Amino acid sequence: MPDQAELLPGTLDLLILKAISLGDVHGYGVLLRIEQISGGALTIQQGALYPALYRLEHQGLIESEWGKSENNRRAKYYRLTRAGRRRLGEEEASWNRLVEAVGAVLRARPQEL
Amino acid sequence: MRAPGSSALSGLLARLRSLWRGLFRRADVEAEMREEFRHHIALRTEDLIRSGLSPAEATRRAHLEFGHIESHSENARAALGLRLFDRLGVSWLDVKLGVRMLVKYPGLSLVSVAGMAVAIAIGAGGFGLIHALLDAPLPLYEGERVVSLQNTDITNPGSPNRRALHDFLLWREQLGSVRDLSAYTDDVRMLTIPGGGSHLVKLARMTASGFRVARVAPVLGRPLVDADEHEGAPPVLVIAYEEWQGRFGGDPAIIGRTVWLDDTVHTVVGVMPEGFRFPVDHRYWVPLRLDPAAYEVGDGPEIWMFGRLADGVSLEQAQAELTTIGRRMAADHPATHERLRPWIRPYTHAFVGVDSPARAWEYRAVQIGLSLLLIVVAVNVAALVYARTAARTGEIAVRAALGASRRRVVTQLFAEALVLSLAAAVIGLTIADVGFKWIRALATREVGELPFWLDLRLSPILVAYVLGLAILAGVIVGVVPALRATGRTVQGSLQRLSSRGSGMQLGRAWTALIVVQVAIAVAALPYALYSTGRFARSAAAVPDYPVDEFVHASLAIARDAVPAGPDTAAHEAAIAARFAASIAELLRRIEAEPEVAGVTFASRYPGSEWIGQIEVEGAGTQSYIWFNQVDVDLFTVFDVPVLAGRGFTPADAAPGVNAVVVDRAFAEEVLGGGDVIGRRIRRIERGEPGTDEVETGPWLEIVGVVPAFTPPPPFEAVAPKLYQPLALADARGTLHLGIRLRRGAAPGAFVGQLRETAHAVDPALRFVDLQPASQEERGRREGLIFLAVLIAAVTASVLLLSAAGIYAMMSFTVATRRREIGIRAALGANPRRILTGVFRRAARQLGAGVLAGLVLAEAGLRATGGSWLRGEGALQLLLVAVIMTAIGALAALGPARRGLAVQPAEVLHEE
Repeated sequence: MPDQAELLPGTLDLLILKAISLGDVHGYGVLLRIEQISGGALTIQQGALYPALYRLEHQGLIESEWGKSENNRRAKYYRLTRAGRRRLGEEEASWNRLVEAVGAVLRARPQEL
Repeated sequence: MRAPGSSALSGLLARLRSLWRGLFRRADVEAEMREEFRHHIALRTEDLIRSGLSPAEATRRAHLEFGHIESHSENARAALGLRLFDRLGVSWLDVKLGVRMLVKYPGLSLVSVAGMAVAIAIGAGGFGLIHALLDAPLPLYEGERVVSLQNTDITNPGSPNRRALHDFLLWREQLGSVRDLSAYTDDVRMLTIPGGGSHLVKLARMTASGFRVARVAPVLGRPLVDADEHEGAPPVLVIAYEEWQGRFGGDPAIIGRTVWLDDTVHTVVGVMPEGFRFPVDHRYWVPLRLDPAAYEVGDGPEIWMFGRLADGVSLEQAQAELTTIGRRMAADHPATHERLRPWIRPYTHAFVGVDSPARAWEYRAVQIGLSLLLIVVAVNVAALVYARTAARTGEIAVRAALGASRRRVVTQLFAEALVLSLAAAVIGLTIADVGFKWIRALATREVGELPFWLDLRLSPILVAYVLGLAILAGVIVGVVPALRATGRTVQGSLQRLSSRGSGMQLGRAWTALIVVQVAIAVAALPYALYSTGRFARSAAAVPDYPVDEFVHASLAIARDAVPAGPDTAAHEAAIAARFAASIAELLRRIEAEPEVAGVTFASRYPGSEWIGQIEVEGAGTQSYIWFNQVDVDLFTVFDVPVLAGRGFTPADAAPGVNAVVVDRAFAEEVLGGGDVIGRRIRRIERGEPGTDEVETGPWLEIVGVVPAFTPPPPFEAVAPKLYQPLALADARGTLHLGIRLRRGAAPGAFVGQLRETAHAVDPALRFVDLQPASQEERGRREGLIFLAVLIAAVTASVLLLSAAGIYAMMSFTVATRRREIGIRAALGANPRRILTGVFRRAARQLGAGVLAGLVLAEAGLRATGGSWLRGEGALQLLLVAVIMTAIGALAALGPARRGLAVQPAEVLHEE
């Protein structure tokens, strides 16, 4: 199993939006999708998942619809709204700027000062 | 083009929808939550079984991993924003109880809801109108960063100085905090489309940077570019989408097509998207070419300036930079700029006369004041609800004894009050919506297309504002009386249950509130009656000339029609000469039209005269009267007979002749009646404010008397008028034409024709106003009726609340003293005398309120130099006192009858 990474505060929403953006998915599926894409490095606490999903839905970033799951059970599927797509874009851009900035600091050598 | 702020709005709507569902479909939300969690656990169990665990172990592990379902539910409820409501304990049952109370007390409900609905309608109307004027986001990208710039004369605030060509060029060069500084002017040209007819169109002469400020790309072609402004550049035109679809038939080859604007060929280079009307209400755009060499500093065409704040720059920072540049300009050009101050404001403020933060705060004060009206009304309603709550102290005490916390009881009473205030909010919003529709229709009729950012309708922000007001009203109406009813008296109420008393008292504060309420109603009533009467009377007055046959056109001439020179006086004279010649030719052409019966002109259209002061020779008296300068044929065209003396002749318009005509009101009110022909008066002009300077004109001799033929202004019983003859050569500023059509001719159709005729005579002629006189008259009447209805509605709701307060006070008194009434009646006392004793206190309070109100009304009018005690004002005060006393008596009738119906045997049996 790959090394587990700690989830930084504030990144859960970004990961959930990204996972949902890849296709309609139910709550359990969001967990699996994030774990799968990260190669097992990221595992979402189950206690944090549903409050985050409900918060994102309350904010109008995702919407839900009841349907049939792969095992023929009634399941609640989530998809991104237009506002959610916009927010995902903004959060991704913000994350990339942060990563670049932190990376630049970490790559710094004494002679560059 | 997505308007900024729409994402915030869509987020707000999503939250409201989610809250609505969480509050009113709670059971469904909870059931769905549990089902979702069960599904999650089931899927996890299946995965664990696939990984090799036994079903029992997999189920156990899945539940352990997931955690306590109730804890997840609690967190999910918090995420939905329901935790606050859960703490409050407001439930659907409370709402149902609230509706039941609404039905159970129909009188109280009607009065409360009506009073609050009117207050909410007024508050919402004021908020919506001012928000639309001042705060509505410009529907452009980062619209809040688009700003207006202008110079204001500090000696004449509110009057912008738009001849700022040199300022514009300097600011464009030096102002770093505003990007793409732009300017535009309005223009009207005859658009001729080869094979498509000719039409007068309004267009914006705008610098190319204006399109960079708007940041809206055309759907076809290109916008104006800087090169288009250069001298010698080919004339180009950008058009609106609707014009392309309408006038050009959606021609796919529109780009590159040539049209005529007056006698100049223009090439269409771009089509803007649907709905684009920047800078105000424009559908055609041509380049603005500025030639500073042709004008002195402080002179030039009138331009409107705007731009975008540079990134990271605030409005205050931009103002600071502009002020510094303005000071340098004033130092370099003191003759023209010493009294000018440049300012920079949000874009829309320039179009509503907000030229300073102080002026913006005046609007805000109105917004706040109108909102406070609801709070005043809510406090009144709270008094009524408190009286009702007194009758329920037994119920409250029992609930408390059964374990209901004080918070729970207060929450229930708050929910009941919220039902009242939300019902009032729905009605108030409906009234406000009707009001907005009326204002939109009136404004569109009067001014044509509205500015593109002005959207006067119920908006999510307005609905949220009204909901906030309704919740505040609910707190005042429900929580405050509830806290009082559930205080220390609860235990006492439980003990007194068997004795059927409530133990609650209407304390001094509440009874003082009713006295104040009556006093305010009485103080406001004379003004309301007077104003409503005046507005209604003025609306009912009809002009005494055939309005339906007239078209009112007011015209001015573009100042840049005559090139400016070094001699300002000569330039002014040249402009006046051109204006006179153009108007004379226009009048000649109009009179030649077969459907025209006559045409005349004046410096003000009859009925809109300006007020001034005159002195009567020999009497030494000075009076305020209404003036007008008119064509010698005006009375003939308007069919106004001459009652004494004679009308004007062409010789009267010659220089040095001082003949005037007055109306009958002038002859009687100013000159005391009798034969006024030959009497002389002269005009008095006051100097600068704060000085005692007075300038008198030459003596003018009255040669004729005519009847009043237009309604007086609303607050004047009569409006004495004086008419001076006007020659076209002396016409300055705006001239008003009265065009009389023959019977059967359609004024509406003539209006379009007139525009084209005027343009053909002189393209520099500008219509300030052009509409059938009947339409103008209808607008005047509708405006007055609206004001009369508004004042009447507010007055009626104030009176209604006063009456309800008295009714509640008397009902409460009868209810709490029922036992006393019964016992005294059983002991042989006359019930009528008992009631007199009971109501004596209420009558004293009513009397105190009426007296205080009368004193307040008189003091208020004396502060402005008037008095109700003079003339018919005393009768009005008496009428008001009688009305209020009658209302109080009527309000007391119900409780009095209940009091008289108290049976001693019943009361004793209850003991």
